[in-house]
Amino acid sequence: MAENKILNDLNTSLAGENEDTQKGKFLTFHLAKEDYGIEIRYVTEIIGIQKITEVPDMPAFVKGVINLRGKVVPVMDVRTRFGMPTRDYDDRTCIIVVDVDDKSVGLVVDKVNEVADIPDHQIEPPPRTNRESTRYIQGLGKIGNEVKILLNVQRLLFSDELTMPGEM
Amino acid sequence: MSNDISSDQIEIILEFVQESRDMIDQLEPIIIELGQSCQKGDCWDILGCQNADCHRQGHSLSLPCWLDTGYIGNGKQTCPHGSSEQDCKKCAIFQKTNGNIETINAIFRLFHSMKGSAGFLDLVHLAAVAHAAESLLDLVRSGKIQMDASHVDLLCQSCDFAKEALELVESEYNDQATAAIAMDVTARLKRAAEEALERVNQVEPVTAATVTESEPETYSPPRQEPEPEDAGAPKDAAMQCFELEITPEMVERFTQEADELLQSAEQGLLQWTEAKPGPDVIASLFRNIHSFKGNCGFFGYSDLERLSHQMESVLDLVKSGKELANPNPADTLLICLDVLRVAVADVSDGGNGKIATLTTYQQQLDALMGVQAKAGAVMPRAAVPPAPVAPPIVPSQPKPAAKDQPAPEPVKTQPPAAPTKPAAPKPASVAPLAPPAAAGSAKAATKRQDLRVDLDKLDQLINLIGEMVIAENMLIHNPDIVGLELENFHKAGQQMSKLVRELQEIAMTIRMIPVSGLFRRMIRLVHDLSLKAGKKVELVLSGEDTEVDKTVIETITDPLVHLIRNSLDHGLEPPAERLQAGKPEKGVVRLSARHEEGQVWIAIEDDGRGLNRDKILAKAISRGMIEGDGSDLSDKAIYSLIFQAGFSTADTITDVSGRGVGMDVVKQNIEKIKGKIEVTSKPGKGTRMILRIPLTLGIIDGMMVRVGDTKCIVPTLTIREAFRPVDEAITITPDGQELARVRENFYPVIRLHEVLAKEPQSHELSEGILILLDYQDKGICLFVDEILGQQQTVIKGLSDYIGNVRWVSGCTILGDGEVCLILDVGHLVEMFDMKEALGA
Repeated sequence: MAENKILNDLNTSLAGENEDTQKGKFLTFHLAKEDYGIEIRYVTEIIGIQKITEVPDMPAFVKGVINLRGKVVPVMDVRTRFGMPTRDYDDRTCIIVVDVDDKSVGLVVDKVNEVADIPDHQIEPPPRTNRESTRYIQGLGKIGNEVKILLNVQRLLFSDELTMPGEM
Repeated sequence: MSNDISSDQIEIILEFVQESRDMIDQLEPIIIELGQSCQKGDCWDILGCQNADCHRQGHSLSLPCWLDTGYIGNGKQTCPHGSSEQDCKKCAIFQKTNGNIETINAIFRLFHSMKGSAGFLDLVHLAAVAHAAESLLDLVRSGKIQMDASHVDLLCQSCDFAKEALELVESEYNDQATAAIAMDVTARLKRAAEEALERVNQVEPVTAATVTESEPETYSPPRQEPEPEDAGAPKDAAMQCFELEITPEMVERFTQEADELLQSAEQGLLQWTEAKPGPDVIASLFRNIHSFKGNCGFFGYSDLERLSHQMESVLDLVKSGKELANPNPADTLLICLDVLRVAVADVSDGGNGKIATLTTYQQQLDALMGVQAKAGAVMPRAAVPPAPVAPPIVPSQPKPAAKDQPAPEPVKTQPPAAPTKPAAPKPASVAPLAPPAAAGSAKAATKRQDLRVDLDKLDQLINLIGEMVIAENMLIHNPDIVGLELENFHKAGQQMSKLVRELQEIAMTIRMIPVSGLFRRMIRLVHDLSLKAGKKVELVLSGEDTEVDKTVIETITDPLVHLIRNSLDHGLEPPAERLQAGKPEKGVVRLSARHEEGQVWIAIEDDGRGLNRDKILAKAISRGMIEGDGSDLSDKAIYSLIFQAGFSTADTITDVSGRGVGMDVVKQNIEKIKGKIEVTSKPGKGTRMILRIPLTLGIIDGMMVRVGDTKCIVPTLTIREAFRPVDEAITITPDGQELARVRENFYPVIRLHEVLAKEPQSHELSEGILILLDYQDKGICLFVDEILGQQQTVIKGLSDYIGNVRWVSGCTILGDGEVCLILDVGHLVEMFDMKEALGA
């Protein structure tokens, strides 16, 4: 129930944002041992984990589709997308529904934290590594001592590292 | 201009536009009906009048009887068949020769209300035209003049004008720009009325044709296009009727579209100058030029039409793999393209699109095709000045007087200028004659109350209802109340379930609209085409009340236009030929719709000459589309060849059809909505095309099946039967393929759990269920654990993000909120065939 309250609060604060106030705001979430953030303008809502219908013939990170109030929304497991070991979903697992180019996609994350302000000057460019998953990183945001890995949603969704069937 | 209009006013104006569009949609068929109800006839003949004293007896007089011996106007009041003006108007002769009074009244009322609303909104020009049309009708109605074909044409033109004006009103909120045309149309309507009155007074036989022909000099909008070569009276009359419709607005759209087409053609050609491109590029080039030609033909720019026609012919040769005199015609084509472009620019500046050096280019193209002496072919480029210099257009005649008047139209600047209106240009491939599919214009054949609703809102509603069904389930089967004795709660719950079901059923039907709106648009098409082709055609509509999904209607509009055009152009014979064949002079095209086998069948039938099997076969063999002599092919297989791209048996290619593009469009559109086309034809008797279309794209009957813990929906339409197999019915081939025997046939078994990569309840066929699926006469047996039941399912697309998934045609949301995939049976069968082919 406590989890529900957090989700409700987050959703309420999401609904209150408009384009002007969205700038510099990131929704932060937890994945494995790190905190991540995505620009809030992409986020439409956050829901608890629910039954996902598998779709055959999809890349592994596309878990399937869910019913979001009558809308069929595909769901991506961000852990699988980053090649991290999978973990069983529990009651803290959340689906962040993002909307990019009018396409809604759900992102499965371990836990949602909060909406945080990270001004531009607190954001460092992405580190230079040769790791595969770096390409999804937009920058590193600093809040005091904490570091949030800020993700590029566009690339997270559409990076053609794995071509989606049907997009060929 | 529109700045000082408040948003309230805008809303009123937009509402007016919508309403008027509906009105015009209604109006057109009625006007045409009126035209048809007017027939020549003599009073003594129709009534069997024996009155020998009457001077009309035995004569065909041009003065209608009610004005001569009757009781209307200055009639001599000697006719024994009536005694008052009322009697005359009710008289069979009046009804027959001057149109049905009811029909006239209906048209009159519509024009009248348009006039009223337009006047109220200060749309003076629209009001003026409506007023003039109304006055003309009033004369007819009161019997002061006799109705003739030119009046019907004029009324149609008034409708066209109104349509154009409405479009303008929609974007500009006033109709200032239509002033010139409005004056012209009004003047023509007035003159027609005056002339008809005069005719009645002078009792001079004046035929309809001379009336229309005596007028052209007096009006000016962009039609100064003599048609020297297109001889033939009916055609001329038709051309005139078309020219009238051309407003500056349309010319602007024409030039914009032409520019786009030429540009895209140019890209293709440029590619070609380097190396011969693939067939798709050529095909798209061909299509571009074809559409361009069509538009030019429609607007009567005959030079442009002729040149592009020839370019098209060249491309056709290339397409069919023939050798050209010059292996790379791209340069020559580019030069011609530039000529076209300059001419189009001329048109957009108010010119007439003439190409002075037309013959030079034509010769070049002929040379390419090897039609003429080699001389031209040897050095096609040297013979002509380079492109930019090339097209010395006939100096455009002094701008028509109308142009100088207040504001006929901000004179078009450059053709490529961004469209000033949000309205999208008409799709190029569509025949220019096709009236644009006005959104939401469908009207029931019978009077009924309609409410215009935003489609998005509707979809939201339907989604919400779907959600409610789920919520209701969750409420009634809520784990919190399980085991409690709640008699009243359950009663209330049942009541609610029932209501929710009903609600859902109604919601399903909301998206369905009758086909009547679509059918009625065809009336105009047939009317125009029959004039143009000089054929007499009657269009018979039936089953207009049949309801189909809105999206289906939108998708089949183009195919229907193409099919009807084909029927008229190729199917029906000219009157003389029909008489020779012992058929009535007037051809009949039947357009009908009905529900059948859970689908909608839309049939287009004509009683023309039918498809020529031998000719199709010969053409197909010459194109290498089939092997052998084709004697083993069924009629059905041969007829289906006509839907191949680029296939046409037409000996001559007219500007309406004959290139083999249209049928390809038909097929593609129908396939898009998972429909089928069936062609039957009897030589000499006619052709029938049936479009079999799923009732709605949104809902299917589905059978829910289960494999392990996964559920899937199989469309019920594809299921022939389901059974639990006994071991003896299963045969396994040496390569491991299981075959199930159903009576005398063997069908391959596909295990659904393998397709979905799931763990089934049991691997033993005898412990599950086999479902015999039928797709295009190919059968397969699908192995599942069990069948859960049948249900109506609302189809939803899988997200764009996922794209197309093999074996899955969509998904649906079940009562418990879970998403369930719908199997694509066609794909399953095809996959199996491919596997077979690979394995073999």
